[in-house]
Amino acid sequence: MSKPKIASDWMCGCAGCHMSLLDMDERILKIVELADLRATPITDLKEPDESGVDVGVLEGGINNSANEEVAKKMRARSKILVALGDCAVFGGVPALRNFCGVQAALRRAYVEAESNEEGSQIPDDPELATMTETRAVHEVVDVDYNVPGCPPDPDTIFYVLSELAQGRKPKLKDELLHWD
Amino acid sequence: MVQITINQQRIDVPEGMTVMQAADSAGIRIPRLCAHKALTPFGGCRLCVVEVEGMRVPMASCTLPVSEGMVVETETESLKKSRQFVLTMLFSERNHFCPFCQVSGGDCELQNAAYHEEMTHWPIQPGWNEFPVDTSHPYFVLDNNRCILCRRCVSACAEMAGNFTLSVADRGAKSMIVADTDIPLGESSCIKCGSCAQVCPTGALIDRFSAYQSHDRNLEETSSVCVGCSVGCAVKVMTRDNRLVRIEGDWDGAVNGGVLCELGRYIPLTESRPRLTTPLARKNGSLEPVSWDEALTLAQSRLQSGSLAALASTRLSVEALTAFKELFETKLAAQLTTTLEEGRATSATAKYAERVGNFEGRLDLLQTADVVLCVGADINRHHQVAGFLFKRNLNNGANLIVIDSAETTLAERARFVLAPKADATQTLILALQAVIAKEGLERKSLALADVESRVEKAVAECGVSAEALTQSARLLASAITPVILYGEADEATVEALHQLAVQIAATDEERNGILALKGGANSQAASLLGLERPFRLAGGETLYLALSDDALPQALADEIRKAEFVVAQASYESEVAEIADLVLPVGIWAEESGHFVNLDGRVQKAQKALDAPNEIPDNLNLLNQIAERMNITLNADWREAVRQRNVGAELRIL
Ligand code: SF4
Ligand code: SF4
Ligand code: SF4
Ligand code: SF4
Repeated sequence: MSKPKIASDWMCGCAGCHMSLLDMDERILKIVELADLRATPITDLKEPDESGVDVGVLEGGINNSANEEVAKKMRARSKILVALGDCAVFGGVPALRNFCGVQAALRRAYVEAESNEEGSQIPDDPELATMTETRAVHEVVDVDYNVPGCPPDPDTIFYVLSELAQGRKPKLKDELLHWD
Repeated sequence: MVQITINQQRIDVPEGMTVMQAADSAGIRIPRLCAHKALTPFGGCRLCVVEVEGMRVPMASCTLPVSEGMVVETETESLKKSRQFVLTMLFSERNHFCPFCQVSGGDCELQNAAYHEEMTHWPIQPGWNEFPVDTSHPYFVLDNNRCILCRRCVSACAEMAGNFTLSVADRGAKSMIVADTDIPLGESSCIKCGSCAQVCPTGALIDRFSAYQSHDRNLEETSSVCVGCSVGCAVKVMTRDNRLVRIEGDWDGAVNGGVLCELGRYIPLTESRPRLTTPLARKNGSLEPVSWDEALTLAQSRLQSGSLAALASTRLSVEALTAFKELFETKLAAQLTTTLEEGRATSATAKYAERVGNFEGRLDLLQTADVVLCVGADINRHHQVAGFLFKRNLNNGANLIVIDSAETTLAERARFVLAPKADATQTLILALQAVIAKEGLERKSLALADVESRVEKAVAECGVSAEALTQSARLLASAITPVILYGEADEATVEALHQLAVQIAATDEERNGILALKGGANSQAASLLGLERPFRLAGGETLYLALSDDALPQALADEIRKAEFVVAQASYESEVAEIADLVLPVGIWAEESGHFVNLDGRVQKAQKALDAPNEIPDNLNLLNQIAERMNITLNADWREAVRQRNVGAELRIL
């Protein structure tokens, strides 16, 4: 039997969850032993296999049309979808923006912020993704496992991936479960 | 006792307990958010639901009384589901960003509850509505974004502080914790006791001083006693790496049951006077650092020649006060040994007690008092916790009568305020006795003559109307469990108050419903030791000033300047540094252990929670070192020393 395939991607997050993944140190070899690590932000392959993967992992919330696409693609191509980290699970720090709304946030960032040059404008190139409210992954696509933490501990990530790679259902509790 | 079974475990508990209390007593933790052991439960949050055999629906365990043979389950799958639902609703209402929340990671009861139910996400996302954040209070912040409307703060304000500042405005989803009529906390009637912040289960009420300093699990906790005043509240001193982080009320505190006042909880954290860490001696007009050896030699030569006076703070422990008395009064025969308080709050009561014996009662009587007569004591300003003990009941039928010739902040809460002219308080008390006698309301007759003339005299002299006098007298006389509380008073007034207490049966065979508030933390001990004389210098003395971490009363500063040489045992640079010729640094309250006698005679031990900087000695230690220099051994036993006289309140060395 071939090894289960794992793919991951990041959206509106800070890459911290993937850093935490790498922080599992040599245990990553164990993951590679158990599973076939496919497309991830830290490998060369950039998109989950069209033929599908067993486990898809998403870091970050969904805050624009591009994130939506990434999430939907990962969902469509994964048997099991994991939302990794507070931003993916709850919206996280970027969701603070939801209090003021998309337009106010864009205006603040591109026009009003002290660091902007006089006359700066909100970019409006049609090729750019459209910004939306920041949403948790489960608000856009179905999620099988939510793994909170900002970031989740390497131990937690190792546990979740190794359980899934071995066909078991991870259950987060006690020291593996935290929201901060 | 009744026997009940919780999670297959049989336990015997007293009747009248709730299921939650029964579980707590057996070490079975039922999740909860609104219930708190110091507050009246009301079954608001529904997190504490349990399954009871024979009952159709889960019941809130915080309000459910135990009954014989009850069989309870607290951790079933269906309870887990129902708790997850409660939590889901709570998280959907407001805005929780745990990663940057002060209490996250152990100190948040809401988060802990969610972990307990193994929640990995919020099934219903929040609506991203912003809620007000009130940063107007000097000691804590109210962030409504994290509030779960459990109302613990509201109950604490009412049931613990008796202050009724907080309430819930509006209903349903619009509900909001507000101060008074929805004004900023910092401008509200809040008395800054911090009870609300201590009970808040979430990061909605966060302490400014300790915020982001540490998780509670990394703090060291020292059970001690507040030395802010003579009430003697039990505190937990929270420290980290030899730094004071927070002071909490001890829920098991005999006197205070968890509540503290601003002076006890927050003022020690605002301390900003620079510390003295090395001895200083005046040379050519200015204070210069000297070695301990030089300092002690100088102290020795000064204290052993010429006339001597000694003055101590009542923040010193009984051990230190006893050594102070032995050294200066007994061994060095000082002309005067007294305290910064000069016995103002104790000596009249002590003198009266020397005649009649101990006559004062206990603080806990205030908790059940139906009428409190408060004489010459604005307990909103000092000894606040004594006030909390009965102010809690003022909205439940208890009444307050205030007699004060000065303006008092208590007026607002009082049923009657009698404001006699200065020095007319005793006349007024005698008149109250007379009215009670005249109206035939005495529980015990004082056999008063000249009843009419007394009343007339009072009305004429005190500037109090006959009407107010009569109504107050009637209310007092109708009380079942009255308590008289008084501040500074002369001996004649104390006597009049005691007679009044007897007359209205505040004092009878069963109880002594009269209490003097006393002054600082050990003012009662100072009284027991006879350190309560007025401070007057003839001029030219050497004065030993054991100030410790106390502040020098402005009123004494001029008198102190009469001394020729001042040795100050002090913790902080302050005005002392200007008048002292020799400064000996000592530890502060948190840096030493020792006993304190509170105003109702309870002896409690304060425990050292911090190490002093630069290895400076504590107060007792320093006095011993000075004595040693003079080849004097101090060996008086404080337990003996405080037993030499009656000063009003029964001494209770527990
Ligand atoms: S109050 Fe508790 S649940 Fe809310 S943000 Fe803070 S730690 Fe998280
Ligand atoms: S502020 Fe705290 S104690 Fe008060 S209702 Fe909100 S969560 Fe409860
Ligand atoms: S600090 Fe005390 S008085 Fe002020 S709101 Fe809180 S409980 Fe009430
Ligand atoms: S009432 Fe007195 S003993 Fe109690 S906390 Fe306040 S200052 Fe301290």
